[in-house]
This record gives sequence, C-alpha cells and structure tokens, in this order.
Amino acid sequence: MELAFTPEEQQFREEVRAWVAANLPKDLARKVHDDLDLTRDDLQGWARILGKKGWLAYGWPVEFGGPGWTAVQRHIFEEETTRAGAPGIVPFGPVMVAPVIQAFGTPEQHQRFLPGIASGEVWWSQGYSEPGAGSDLASLKTRAERQGDKYIINGQKTWTTLGQHGDWMFNLVRTSNEGKPQTGISFIVLDMKSPGVTVRPIKMLEGGHEVNDVFFDNVEVPAENLIGEENKGWTYAKHLLSHERTNIAGVARSKRELARLKRIAKAEGVWDDPRFRDQIALLEVDIVALEMLVLRVLSAATSGKNSLDIAGLLKIKGSEIQQRYAELMMLAAGPYSLPFIEEAMAAGWQGDQAVAAALRGFPGGSTGNAVLAPSYFNMRKTTIYGGSNEVQRTIVAQTVLG
Amino acid sequence: MDFNFSDDQQQLRDAVAKWVDKGYDFERRKKIVAAGGFDRAAYDELADLGLAGLYVSEEHGGLGLGPIEAMVVMEELGRGIVLEPLAQTLVTSAAIGAFGTPEVQAAWLPRIASGEALVVLAQQERKARYRLDVCAAQASAAPGGAYALTGLKNVVPAGDQADAFVVPAQLDGKLALFLVERGAAGVATRGYPTQDESRAADVQFDSAPAALVTTDGLAALRYAVDVGIACACATGTGAMDKTLALTTEYMNQRKQFGVTIASFQALRHRVADMKMQLELARSMSYYASLKLGTPEAERRLALSSAKVQLGQSLRYVGQQSVQLHGGIGVTDEYAGSHYFKVLTQLEMTWGDTLHHLGEVSDHMQDTAGVFV
Repeated sequence: MELAFTPEEQQFREEVRAWVAANLPKDLARKVHDDLDLTRDDLQGWARILGKKGWLAYGWPVEFGGPGWTAVQRHIFEEETTRAGAPGIVPFGPVMVAPVIQAFGTPEQHQRFLPGIASGEVWWSQGYSEPGAGSDLASLKTRAERQGDKYIINGQKTWTTLGQHGDWMFNLVRTSNEGKPQTGISFIVLDMKSPGVTVRPIKMLEGGHEVNDVFFDNVEVPAENLIGEENKGWTYAKHLLSHERTNIAGVARSKRELARLKRIAKAEGVWDDPRFRDQIALLEVDIVALEMLVLRVLSAATSGKNSLDIAGLLKIKGSEIQQRYAELMMLAAGPYSLPFIEEAMAAGWQGDQAVAAALRGFPGGSTGNAVLAPSYFNMRKTTIYGGSNEVQRTIVAQTVLG
Repeated sequence: MDFNFSDDQQQLRDAVAKWVDKGYDFERRKKIVAAGGFDRAAYDELADLGLAGLYVSEEHGGLGLGPIEAMVVMEELGRGIVLEPLAQTLVTSAAIGAFGTPEVQAAWLPRIASGEALVVLAQQERKARYRLDVCAAQASAAPGGAYALTGLKNVVPAGDQADAFVVPAQLDGKLALFLVERGAAGVATRGYPTQDESRAADVQFDSAPAALVTTDGLAALRYAVDVGIACACATGTGAMDKTLALTTEYMNQRKQFGVTIASFQALRHRVADMKMQLELARSMSYYASLKLGTPEAERRLALSSAKVQLGQSLRYVGQQSVQLHGGIGVTDEYAGSHYFKVLTQLEMTWGDTLHHLGEVSDHMQDTAGVFV
C-alpha cells in the first residue's frame, strides 16, 4: 500500500500544470475563482483551447484520438485544471454522447460527429428528462415515428442544461410502446436548428438561466441519425453510467472552494470564531475522506483488483459537500450576503457610479459576497440531478443488502 | 397551562389570514417583487387593519395588544410571505413604547399606529456582524436640544421607503437610540432587493438631525431585537407551515414509477422529520412570545434559544422542501422556491443560528427547562 504518485505521474502533473498556466486565459480563471457568470464564449473558448491540444476528449480511447491516459492521469488532469480556475468541461459532447457513438455508432457516424466534439466546435445538449419522467426516466414519452427515411419527433425534454447554446442534441425517444418501457427507447441525435425545435429558458430560483425546456413539434430527423439499433437506447444510456467516473465526486472543485471559503471566512471576521471555524474543519475532514475514497477507486481501476463499484457514494457525498461549502460561504458573509445586486455577479462591476461615495459598490464593500446566497440557492440542485441522492441511496443499499 | 388562543386572538388571526388569502396572492407578490420588493399600498392595508398600532398603547392611538397577538399576526403574514416589514413597525414601536422619552412617544407613536409613518430599525454595521454592542455611528448634541448623527447602516429593511429610522449611535461613549427622518438633511439611501425579494437599503447619515429616543440604548436595542426575534419565529412558523403544505400537496400528486412519490417510505420519513422541525419551531415561537415580558437576562436566553431552534428548523424544512420537489423545487416559477429563500434569509435575520448558539452557550445555567 502506498500513498504517493509515481515519478511518472508527478512529471505528468508538472506538464499539465505548465500547459494550463500558459493556456488558461487569466480573466476566465478569475471569473471561475470568483464564481462569476460565465458566457458561452468563456465555456466554448476553453473547450476549443483544450480541443486544439487534444485534451478535450481526454477520456476517449486511443483509437478514437484520445491521449491514452490512465485513470490516475485523468484524475491529475482534472485536479490541475480545476485548481488553476478552469471551468468544468461541458460534458454532454465529450463525456456523454461520444462514448455512445463510439461504442454503438457506425464508422460513418464516427466520422460525422466525433471530430466536432473533440475540437470543441460543436456544442452538444442532452435530452433525457421530461416533465413526467424524472427519476422514472424510462417512462419518457417523446416519440419518434419512423416515416420512410426519417423519424418524426414530437414531445418535450426538460432540464436541458445550457441548451440555449446547443448545436446538436442527443435524445432518448420512444419508438415502441410494446413491452416494458425500457425496451421501447431509442437513442437519436439531431441538429437543434431543425424546424420544429424550440428552446425555452427555465429561470432558476436565484435568477440564472442554465436549464431549458426543449419542445419538438413534428421535427424531421434523418434515419441515419439513429445511433445503434432501434429500441436499444436504454442499454446505450446505461453503458454511460457504468463507467467509473471519479470526477462525479467533484473533489478538485471542493478543495478549491474550501480554500475560497477560508479566505471569505477571514475577510468576514469569522475565522477567529471557533464555532464557525469548527464547521469549516468538519467540512475539511469530509473532503479529505472523500478524496481518499476517490484515490481508492483509482487504485482499484489501476490495479484491476478489487473493483470498487461505489459511484453512488461519490455522487452522494460529493454533492452534499458542494452544498455545505456554498452554505458556509453564505453564512460567513451573514447579513452581507443578503443584498441582491445582480450586476455585481458579473465580471467587471465597479459599483454604481451615480450613488454617493459611501453607498457605492456592494454593501459592506466586498463585491465577492454578491454571489454567495445565489450560489447557495443554486447548489440545492446537486442532490437532485444526476440521479437524485434518494435514488442513489437505493442503489447503494441494493449493493449492500441485495 | 393554556396554549389555546382567545376568541379575540383567533379573530385577529382570521382577519389577517383573510387579507393574505384575498388580497396578497402570489401574483400580487410577484408584481411587488418586480417593482423592487416593497409596496406602500400593501403596508397601508395592514395599517388599515390596525396592525401597525398593535404594540402602540391605546393612549397613543394603537390597539394596545401584546406578544401573542403579534405572534398570530406575524404567523399569518409569514404564511403568505408578505414582503412589507410589519415586523419592523412592531420592533420600533415596542422599543419607543418601552424606552422612549415622552416627547418621542407623543410625536411618533400615533403616526406609527395610523400607518402614516413607517419607522424601521437601522442597526446593521459592517464590523458588528450580529453583535448589538458594537456600534461605530456617533451622535453629538446640537443646538436646541437636538442631536447630529453620523454613520453608515447597511441592509436596513425598506430603508429607502421608510419615513424614519430608529438608529443606535454612540453618545458620549455610551450606546443611545435616536430617531432620524429619512427626509432630513444629511440622509442618503441606496435601495436594493434582498435575497428573499423584499426591499432594503444602505443608509448614510451625515450630521443628520436626530431626536433622542433613549440613552439606555443597549437595553432598548436588545429588547427591540428580542421583539424582532419573536416576530421572526412566528413568521418562520407560518412560512414553514405553508412550505410543508406545498410539499405534501406535491408529493401526493406527483407520480413516478406508477405511484405517487408520497408512497416512498424514505420520503415519508423525511416528511415526518420536517413535521418534527415545524412543531419544535412552533413550540419555541410560543415560548419566545411568552418570554418577551420577562426580566432581561431570562428573556435574552429564552429568545436566543428560540432563535437556535428556529434556525435549525428553517434550514431543514426549507432544504428538504426543495429536495422533495425534485427539479421544479429550484425553479423561479415555483412558489415553493420563494418560500425557501424567505426561510433562508430569516435564519440570518436578528442573528443566525451559530450566533445565538453562542449566546445560549455563554449563558447556560446548571439546569434548564421551560420553567427556570
């Protein structure tokens, strides 16, 4: 048993760190460090930079152009980019649809879709959840009817993250009503500019726009956009989930945010309050324990022995930690987290020039406090999405109890 | 032992509940939010019901009622998450009534009771956080018996809409309370919405003319804040009650896997835990109101204890209500998310849970219980 990275892994870390330092735009890093609103250009710009290096598709098999990294190297890459203030990669293209196209698509589909995903040029969105199909995703109703060389799609997807920027979309659609619901689902991709596709923003409780409803009104999709076989879509979607993705734990981000929490606590004067500081200490222990759990998963993946099938635990604990640091940051600012001045949540806000001197700027003087309560509100989603923590616990319980 | 409400108290509750039901629905609230978070017309309607004068003596034109009446009123306003800060009126009128000079009482209490004057507490300062004994604002005697007050107060509820402020400031090295009119010279405000969508403002005082309320400032301020805590407990109880009701209504109607989600045992247990938190909070809301009239040390411990319970309950009920709604719980469109934001801000009002935990911890005796 050894708690250390190998010299090769250390060297890899140094290479990644140096590359990130040279290529991550400084103003983007600043926005990420301060949790300010990111634009489409921010996110796609970074995707393109990674794409040029061949690192957007960092998890892909070598035969599809991936860099051929080990699980530990992927972990190191995630750590170094996150620590430096890179935004999280928008996963729908490179992490979610690409493996499905690679495993179940035709060579022609590989040619059509994979290069645009790997380069960051094409923005992909996910069409899974529906108003009536959340945890019970298999009950989805959006239908695709085969008519000649086309599928005609009607229905509605919801919670489509960043769908307002999407170029292409992958969807689970119903192609049969016979038998169990899971056996009538197909996996199809479509151009979001197709006639009949309408994207409608859903406003989040803190005011942000990050998810959408997507309506399909007789949308015509060429039959060659079906991935794999009709009615096998559910198994393709589950194939995704079976990958041991340790990134779901969000440890790198939580470590970065823990450091930010400490800075905020110091600036707000609560670092010297043992009662408050103890709360941070408890969170710190949680993060270290989760990181150890992640490393154990990596070790198991590397050695091939004692596979640790605990993705559910990573998601549950990771999401609760995210909620907790957001909560503690807001509580650290306390009354000074209460003013809701939306302009202060965007980069470059200098305060209201028209207002008298003492009243200019964010109340209390720390503009960084503007995002804390909105972020706390927004983070309540983490225990709901990606498989609610209740569902995750049911799955974990099954692995234990049978 | 009698925790029943009198007929008068029940009628008062019903009157406020009816106003909320018929006159302050979610659509009206949305419009007020869009306009900045405060509607004077709505506040005037509360005043027309006599509520602005609840704590004002009959001698000064008020209803001359007490903490239990205040509690039932605030609970119903909390149930409708009403934005207009009647709690501030109760806080300032109680403080002026208990500590103010006869002059200030005569000049202001009738106007507060009639609704003509909305008077709010401008107390928050950057270095103070939740402490009441830290105050940088300064006042000095000015010609003619008046005073001049200088300082900056933040997050003052309805601060750019109120008619006047009760302001703590140091006078000759000791905390005193003053009354300053918003329209006076040397007063500048900058308003903004807060996270619960109500309105607040930063208020800058620059040698502003001030009337002395009391030189017994710290005691008066502590009392005022305890009145505020009792209001917050009641408001929070009403809001949590409605939050739980919205949640159970949703769970009994939302189906997944062919059954209502209310049938899942894990979620049923969660609801039971929410009910526990609601009832503990309601209990401590009663306790808080019943202890408002006790001697200072006893009162402060009781109100801090109540705020600790309230804070825990607000957080649990709020967070779980969002969780049990699934995705819609985090959307702006859904009323429940607005309740969640109110519950969240209430925890940080009048001192958060950790602050009051410190107060309880520092003042614990050898034994404890409802009866000291």
